Amino acid sequence: MAETEIQATVVVDARGLLCPMPIVKTAKAMKELAPGDVLKVMATDRGSVADVPAWAGSTGNELLEWHQEGETFVFLLRKGEGD
Amino acid sequence: MAETQKLVIMVTHGPAEPELASIPFSMAGGALASDVDVVMGFQGDGCLLVKKGVADTVAAPGFTPLRELLPTIQELGGKILVCSPCCKSRGLTEADLVDGAEIVAAGRFVAEITSATNSLTY
Repeated sequence: MAETEIQATVVVDARGLLCPMPIVKTAKAMKELAPGDVLKVMATDRGSVADVPAWAGSTGNELLEWHQEGETFVFLLRKGEGD
Repeated sequence: MAETQKLVIMVTHGPAEPELASIPFSMAGGALASDVDVVMGFQGDGCLLVKKGVADTVAAPGFTPLRELLPTIQELGGKILVCSPCCKSRGLTEADLVDGAEIVAAGRFVAEITSATNSLTY
């Protein structure tokens, strides 16, 4: 699904942050959302490409899609039914 | 959700080895962000990392500086346990350590490790 079809509830700008801060910021932001809400995360740390999907898998959230825009990795995550 | 997991991370390197001092803090942050409970145990020169003011001076290339990682880990609920004899030999008391740090001995470390899902030593 193209990003333009998905409306993010909140955007996390983790550009310039190094491991593990992109997922730390993502986790903090996700806690404030309701199940089904979509979080958009922007990061420039190359490790995020592996980190964000792994984080989503281990925390019960869903990675809807990710892509690269220049030097920025963009992730769309849907909050799961957990906390 | 699954039962809460716990990771114990033992830190034995100090400010003289910033990369080995930074990796355990990065792992702790990753674990806490993933809803894994974290206990960090500081032994040997690792104890120096949680002496007040020292974390502000430790940064390894490519890593988030400790001045950011240490407060983040404490904010997310990570526990800081520090080896009693290691503190004694370095003249450190609880007053010298960052707020929230607890001086403990082998029995507590063993209890934390044996009740953890896994443990790592750096």
